[in-house]
Amino acid sequence: MKVLFVEDEPVLLEEMETYFNSHDCICEQAVTFGQAEQKLRDYMYDVVVLDITLPDGNGIDLIEDIRKSHLETGILILSAKDSLQDKLNGLNLGADDYLTKPFYLEELNARVNAIYRRKTLKGAEQIMFDDFTMHPASKSFFFKGNEVSLTRKEYDMLIYFVINKNRVVSKASIVEHLWGDHFDQSDNFDTVYVHMKNLRKKLCNISGKDYIKTVYGMGYKFTY
Amino acid sequence: MKLLSKISYYHFWLSAIVLGITGCMLFFFLRNEISKEIEEQLELQTNMVAEEIHMGKNVAFPLVNITEGNESLMKLPKVFKDTLIYDKVQKVTEGYYYFSESRKINGKPYRIMVMTTYIGWDNYSKTIIYIFLSIAALLIILGTLVNYFISRRIWKPFLINLKRMQGYSVSSKEELELTLTDVKEFKEMNKVLIDLAARGKKEYTALKEFTENASHEIQTPLSILKTRLESISQQPLTVDLARLLNDAKQATIRLSKVNKGLLLLAKLENNAFTDVQWVSLQDVLKRNLDLMEDLFEHKGLHVEQLIQNKLVYASSFLMEILVSNLLTNALSYATAKAKIIITLSEQTLEISNEGEPLSFPVSKLFTRFGKGAAGNKGNGLGLSIVKQICKINNWQVNYHYNNSMHHFSITF
Repeated sequence: MKVLFVEDEPVLLEEMETYFNSHDCICEQAVTFGQAEQKLRDYMYDVVVLDITLPDGNGIDLIEDIRKSHLETGILILSAKDSLQDKLNGLNLGADDYLTKPFYLEELNARVNAIYRRKTLKGAEQIMFDDFTMHPASKSFFFKGNEVSLTRKEYDMLIYFVINKNRVVSKASIVEHLWGDHFDQSDNFDTVYVHMKNLRKKLCNISGKDYIKTVYGMGYKFTY
Repeated sequence: MKLLSKISYYHFWLSAIVLGITGCMLFFFLRNEISKEIEEQLELQTNMVAEEIHMGKNVAFPLVNITEGNESLMKLPKVFKDTLIYDKVQKVTEGYYYFSESRKINGKPYRIMVMTTYIGWDNYSKTIIYIFLSIAALLIILGTLVNYFISRRIWKPFLINLKRMQGYSVSSKEELELTLTDVKEFKEMNKVLIDLAARGKKEYTALKEFTENASHEIQTPLSILKTRLESISQQPLTVDLARLLNDAKQATIRLSKVNKGLLLLAKLENNAFTDVQWVSLQDVLKRNLDLMEDLFEHKGLHVEQLIQNKLVYASSFLMEILVSNLLTNALSYATAKAKIIITLSEQTLEISNEGEPLSFPVSKLFTRFGKGAAGNKGNGLGLSIVKQICKINNWQVNYHYNNSMHHFSITF
């Protein structure tokens, strides 16, 4: 997957790039509007992560250009403004998703992957680990061809883990992913734990392997 | 009191006092003048009677009384007085003036008394009062009418402008436009109002820009903090360090939530939500309940739903926030294994949950950060956001506690 990050904040850029690189993505960056324009003209990207507020222009104005030249390119708006109007404008102009700062890299990764699956792979992608296969489009899950039943939350959690494999995912980030960001996290940590425990048990019973590791005080890490 | 009534009120008392004083003056001056005239007239008449007697004529006029007498008569003084005489025709006693004087004519002393009727002062005063009352009434009625019609014309631009001011918001894109008037004071007022509106708008825009900038400036460092803290989490950490890191993470989350909440409130106050459409509250409720199903279940909460279809014309974004805030509130403050009742009807949405009574005054419930120590669970903004959303939709939000249940109800 080839991703372009349009963002003027060097630390964020570095973090995003490091993380996406570790998940086998080819990353490029643009720190100004002009630079982004240039890169979008010269290269093709699967997904563009677009910050709205740039030093020399409004990221929203890039959306139309991208849409004109590359219909397949997925666009995720990254904004610090959390403005409904920006969101509506962006989505109307053809952006695929909208994420407000501050965000979790895992969430960004999950969303970028979802866009990629939807746009480039047209929902035909399978996510595989060991003998397990996930079909995100139909929300089904198989072990060696046999369907395994998961609750919806377990399924969402599993995708989140798999996409962010080898990463310590904090409980707060899982809460935000599963229930949205207007929930108070600490209350729901127990529920996260219950879902995680059930999921871990199901995976373990089928394959005999423990995929989810608890990192004390921090969260969970999914490895395969 | 309306300005017009106020003016009329003072106008009335002024007229009453002025007319009262002038009425009395008129009455007394008139009485004085007329008495003097009558006295002169009666004196003249007495002279004429004396002359007649002097010329040896027999004087027999009505209302003239002549008495011939001795010297002692001459000692009596001149008298000008009023008296009562019975009127045989009208069969009433009427007031008369009489003038009585002693004269020596042809060497004989005479006492001559001359009388004339006077129209009763009672009648005079009554007439004067009536006339003055009518003047007063006419002045007030006509004055008010004239005032009313003139005012309507003069005040018309003022009232139109007042309406426009009422409907004006510094957050709207339009400039304030006021109707022209030829009254100097109103002209000045219009100028001041337009200046004020322009200034308000400028300050509002500046504040809005500031809020947006502040939000941007805060969110970006927060993003850095958040991602860097997550990166640190990836490292092998000691238990102590993990605890410290966790606290820092929790604080960042809280800060970003408070920031988001305050921004949302600022936007609500400016009524900056334009995505108004028909929203099915039933759908919003069902969707949120569905999402939270496992959270309720985990806490062992029993959710009772009495949900009818209800459409509201409002921002769909805000409806999501309204419903999720109320449900989260119920979830957070319900005791374990408690009952939650959700009722949606044509008139009201009520969300009730069993729980301990409030440990703080109800008046603080909907205020920002109003919950103090007990509110550590939330960011202290959820219910004030609920209240603000209801306010911009002109809905009533109420809270009461009975049968150990908290009831939050919204009346559409």
